[in-house]
Amino acid sequence: MVMAEGTAVLRRNRPGTKAQDFYSWPDESFEEMDSTLAVQQYIQQNIRADCSNIDKILEPPEGQDEGVWKYEHLRQFCLELNGLAVKLQSECHPDTCTQMTATEQWIFLCAAHKTPKEVWIYFVKSCNFMGQHYRLSKVSIKESSVAKLGSVCRRIYRIFSHAYFHHRQIFDEYENETFLCHRFTKFVMKYNLMSKDNLIVPILEEEVQNSVAGESEA
Amino acid sequence: MSAQGLFLLALPGGHKDWFKSSKEFSTKLTKTPFVFICFQARIAFLQGERKGQENLKKDLVRRIKMLEYALKQERAKYHKLKYGTELNQGDLKMPTFESEETKDTEVPTVPQNSQLTWKQGRQLLRQYLQEVGYTDTILDVRSQRVRSLLGLSNSEPNGSVETKNLEQILNGGESPSSKQKGQEIKRNSGDVLETFNFLENADDSDEEEESDMIEDIAEGKEKHRINKKHKIGNEGLAADLTDDPDTEEALKEFDFLVTAEDGEGAGEARSSGDGTEWDKDDLSPATEVWDVDQGLISKLKEQYKKERKGKKGVKRVNRTKLHDMIADLGDDELPHIPSGIINQSRSPSSRMTDHEGARAEEAEPITFPSGGGKSFIMGSDDVLLSVLGLGDLADLTVTNDADYSYDLPANKDAFRKTWNPKYTLRSHFDGVRALAFHPVEPVLVTASEDHTLKLWNLQKTVPAKKSASLDVEPIYTFRAHIGPVLSLAISSNGEQCFSGGVDATIQWWNMPSPNVDPYDTYEPNVLAGTLIAHTDAVWGLAYSGIKNHLLSCSADGTIRLWNPPEKMPCICTYNGEKEHGIPTSVDFIGCDPAHMVTSFNTGSTVIYDLETSQSVVMLSSQIESGVQSNNHINRVVSHPTLPVTITAHEDRHIKFFDNKTGKMIHSMVAHLDAVTSLAVDPNGIYLMSGSHDCSIRLWNLDSKTCVQEITAHRKKLDESIYDVAFHPSKAYIASAGADALAKVFV
Repeated sequence: MVMAEGTAVLRRNRPGTKAQDFYSWPDESFEEMDSTLAVQQYIQQNIRADCSNIDKILEPPEGQDEGVWKYEHLRQFCLELNGLAVKLQSECHPDTCTQMTATEQWIFLCAAHKTPKEVWIYFVKSCNFMGQHYRLSKVSIKESSVAKLGSVCRRIYRIFSHAYFHHRQIFDEYENETFLCHRFTKFVMKYNLMSKDNLIVPILEEEVQNSVAGESEA
Repeated sequence: MSAQGLFLLALPGGHKDWFKSSKEFSTKLTKTPFVFICFQARIAFLQGERKGQENLKKDLVRRIKMLEYALKQERAKYHKLKYGTELNQGDLKMPTFESEETKDTEVPTVPQNSQLTWKQGRQLLRQYLQEVGYTDTILDVRSQRVRSLLGLSNSEPNGSVETKNLEQILNGGESPSSKQKGQEIKRNSGDVLETFNFLENADDSDEEEESDMIEDIAEGKEKHRINKKHKIGNEGLAADLTDDPDTEEALKEFDFLVTAEDGEGAGEARSSGDGTEWDKDDLSPATEVWDVDQGLISKLKEQYKKERKGKKGVKRVNRTKLHDMIADLGDDELPHIPSGIINQSRSPSSRMTDHEGARAEEAEPITFPSGGGKSFIMGSDDVLLSVLGLGDLADLTVTNDADYSYDLPANKDAFRKTWNPKYTLRSHFDGVRALAFHPVEPVLVTASEDHTLKLWNLQKTVPAKKSASLDVEPIYTFRAHIGPVLSLAISSNGEQCFSGGVDATIQWWNMPSPNVDPYDTYEPNVLAGTLIAHTDAVWGLAYSGIKNHLLSCSADGTIRLWNPPEKMPCICTYNGEKEHGIPTSVDFIGCDPAHMVTSFNTGSTVIYDLETSQSVVMLSSQIESGVQSNNHINRVVSHPTLPVTITAHEDRHIKFFDNKTGKMIHSMVAHLDAVTSLAVDPNGIYLMSGSHDCSIRLWNLDSKTCVQEITAHRKKLDESIYDVAFHPSKAYIASAGADALAKVFV
């Protein structure tokens, strides 16, 4: 559905567009993106181009405010986690995974609920946080909000670790499609949003040395 | 014994054997004189009353004739001024009131106990009005407006206004669209104003000299004009204005009414023009009218005066009597007057059509079929605007005081007001492709490219920092689609919803309770099922509560009809060979549940018979151009009650089609960029459209004019607004955008 008639390209997924033609338009350089959602557009464009090219995806354009950049990336992680969540919910039920655990040593407690609840609560909470603070992302993001990004990262990471240790097959499938956990791990390392001790999924062994703390029982 | 005889005479016939014996009678007789006297008094009273009512009737008829004569005179003057020729109006003789005899011949008197009751007279009037093209609905709505106006301006019930209004309707009521027509109406309403004042004065002081009264009226009218002039920006008239409190009062009334009149003129210009240009039409008719009329009025005044002097002999009923009579009038006496009026006022109306020839015919062909939708025929705006010119006789009774307190329908305000943003729904991570309201609750569902749908309860809000709008947290997130969710439909009972996605599936959901705890555990039974048959992205869904069927259209080229609970839920497939292209949007036909309409990327819109799966009507609007995407239709909606289909086009147009003929009724450039979404309000009066130009616009479906524009969303890539919706039963509208937000307006 790309309009390539010499006139300006209109980047639209019009009703009737086939799934394979979605987003099938030429890339746009960041400088040309004049919309207020340019950062998100840019990140998504790079992911669509090659989701395994993590370094390129995480490389902010010149002069980009770092807070907004981190924030938009986290939004994108949450967005893509929906895909993992859909896969997980086929087998991750409250009766099978009563506790949000990664390993026997790691039992995550939700601060709001005291009792362990399953993965979705954490996920919903992260999502809501991101949603609520969306308006801050327009130009720059407040320092206090940036500080909260760390806790959102920890919540998101719990989903990865739970999936890795309890639903390994799904995790692997999804990881092969999206490199999401790889990207996330590199992201939090790059911006120092989580301590290495907490990164328990054995990914990027060369960087995450301490991950052996968890037994590979899954 | 003579007493007994008398008494028996006074008794109704059936009671003659009331007294079995004279003994019994004698005992009763001691008690009866009082009764007897009462009867006599009653008879006298009734006779007096009847006489009074007859007087009143005569008076009213006289006034009506005078007014009619004045109107004719004015019309003739106007015609002469405008065309320079004498207007042949037939017998233009002054009505005379010298003798009872002439009047009796002119106005067919109906015997007191005639079967033609007031109600029947009313019925007759209704019939006449219907002949001229006024349905009961219009009459009702208008009469309410008139009543509210009357209630504000003159609490005195007023017979002449009523009859005058009838005259207006008969003379110039038929959907006026030409400028001339507008003027006619204006003049008529001017006369109504005159009548108002006239009668008010009459009520205020019976001793007042009639000539004074006329002075007042004339002055009032003159002031009215001056007022008008000022409004238009011309030089004011020479100021022979007095500080007479009466005039002042009248002026106030005029002020009030003038504004309504202004609106009326504008309304007419608007409905005749093509949406975009009514602004410039707005003032011109008014200017013209009042300029032309200027000299005329003084002459009329003179004539009126002279005339009144001539028949000064006619004794006027005094005020209190008039008062009482008016109060008693309605039930039996009034049929005389309407029947007389109809006879008289119908003839000028036919004359008028003669001499003004094309006026009636030149009325712009009705661009939108009427009939069917009741409230559609006239948006409440127009009702308000044109009510003065087209008052309703039928319902405006002289006696019914209770009716004056009749409340206008509450929903009038719901649609007359300006929509303002109230809630911002900001939890999605990517563009919101579709949204739909719960049929009853203040609850809505949004579908997003972030693979999820979210459920929102507008009553559970979070105050947003430093902003008037409220934030709403989603109370549930629906996850099952692998990939963006594109389309959404809620069942008519609000218990289920359906979503179509890029993953080619249609997910079928049970709606969680609006009071569900957002942090509650995951409910696996929310997902009721998955409808699989399409092989590509599902772009459009529509639900019909009549058979509880679902329609879907997909990029695979097919449209499918589903009965979700069945084992093989897909009942029927349409456009299997891609005859018409790729479907983009689908809707059930509101007034014909056996049909549905689909729009295609090729620019065609097709109505299918659901049973036979054959295409019934082609609504074609293709424009020959090399660029295929210019023909692309983004959305099709069916009018809820009329056989009309509305399409939203990539080339910025909105087009209207007649379902019966397939012909395009109207086409308009509606936005600055592609129109993406449409919604018709549940009453079928307003249309809402969303566009990639970031704005949503509200349109009056009757006049096809934009009544409000709201800039609602920001752009992502080259897309902005994906969907708009009206709440089916509450005063909410909502828009969904590529900026990952949904907004609700109240």
